[in-house]
Amino acid sequence: MKSLRFAFVLTAAVALPLVGQRPITVTGVRSLAFGTLLPGVPTIVARTDAAKSGQFTINGPHDSQAQVTFTLPAVLTGPGGATLPLTFGGSDAGYSQSQNIGSQIGFDPKQPFLITFSGQGRGSVFLGGTARPGLTQRAGSYTAIITLNVATFP
Amino acid sequence: MKPTRLSMVLLLWAARLGAQGVVIAPHAVFIDARTRSGAVLLYNPNPDPAEVAISFFFGYPATDSAGRIVVRTVEHPDSTSPSAASWIQAFPRRLTVPPLERQTIRLLASPPPGLADGEYWARLVISAKGGQLPVTGVADTAKVKVGLTLEVRTIIGVFYRKGAVRTGVTLSGLRTAVVGDSLAVWARLTQQGNAAYIGSAHAALLDSTGKTLAELKAPIGVYDAMEPRWALPIGALAPGRYRLRLDLSTGRDDLAPELVLPSPPVRDSVEVRVP
Repeated sequence: MKSLRFAFVLTAAVALPLVGQRPITVTGVRSLAFGTLLPGVPTIVARTDAAKSGQFTINGPHDSQAQVTFTLPAVLTGPGGATLPLTFGGSDAGYSQSQNIGSQIGFDPKQPFLITFSGQGRGSVFLGGTARPGLTQRAGSYTAIITLNVATFP
Repeated sequence: MKPTRLSMVLLLWAARLGAQGVVIAPHAVFIDARTRSGAVLLYNPNPDPAEVAISFFFGYPATDSAGRIVVRTVEHPDSTSPSAASWIQAFPRRLTVPPLERQTIRLLASPPPGLADGEYWARLVISAKGGQLPVTGVADTAKVKVGLTLEVRTIIGVFYRKGAVRTGVTLSGLRTAVVGDSLAVWARLTQQGNAAYIGSAHAALLDSTGKTLAELKAPIGVYDAMEPRWALPIGALAPGRYRLRLDLSTGRDDLAPELVLPSPPVRDSVEVRVP
């Protein structure tokens, strides 16, 4: 009974916007992960890496289009303002209409990319990149923010 | 669909979302000058609160030199631009959406006095930051630890309509080229009237008997003049003469019919020679 009530609450919460016009959802699923970084040794994560690549899922009106752009950091910021370079190649991002990491169309994450939602209104964006710690990279925690921008096209 | 079944579908749909991000509806907001207000619903399907920030800018879909559709952003629109970005406000502009709850963003338009009839545009930016994405890449023994946080910004169109609004489109310069196993199609589209042309493009490749060999349907929004490029998959086509037909109409599946401004269909065709 409790779960049924919860179901009705959810219905009330999300059914309304489904009438007439479709909702859109952009979700950050998995962050780009570089694992252990050793000073002076670049670490590359491929967009096809199922464990380490960044992943976003997008749900939108079926068969409609949207523009995807990234706001990418050039460096990670660490202790005392130390920085660690982060680079992205011309095919480090990928889009999969089927949300399958094995069937991506690669694109340059520094350029706008037009996506078309599947008939079910879904898609996934994957991201790889390269972290380049210096030989004298200061130890500590380094952070940065990766932003995915999705603009719908009515 | 029965209510219980619909509820279960929505439950499963919400559960699938996981991680961070909010459901945003609708994906385009239409504001009538008589009410001067609109609303956007946010729903957080995640177990953590979502921090949301709202902002506006002026921009509209256009094409780049390669015919790709992009958002053309105008940072300082002049007085002749149909920009509503400076006089539409959102309430609230910052909020936290608790887990499994919804919040409504109210939009209020305060247009300048004497605003001419027509449609005015803005882009609404909804920035969502997840509550507790785990810091990844932290190694137990590494001297250098890295944590990247993901943010998402969803940008939807806002349309303010005042008085008599009308739209249309002209189609010119239709041309094609065989590129690999595709037929590239270009056309110049120019918006008419005082509102954006929101519709669909349908390209079809016909043989000499009128039989359709390949076709493509894509949504299109014409806010000014643009030259989009479409790629029609044709495979290995036998040498000969064909005809490419391009139709533009205001039918759209993703928008409620009453929101789409009607306009007569527009069509053009061109001969295609495959050597």
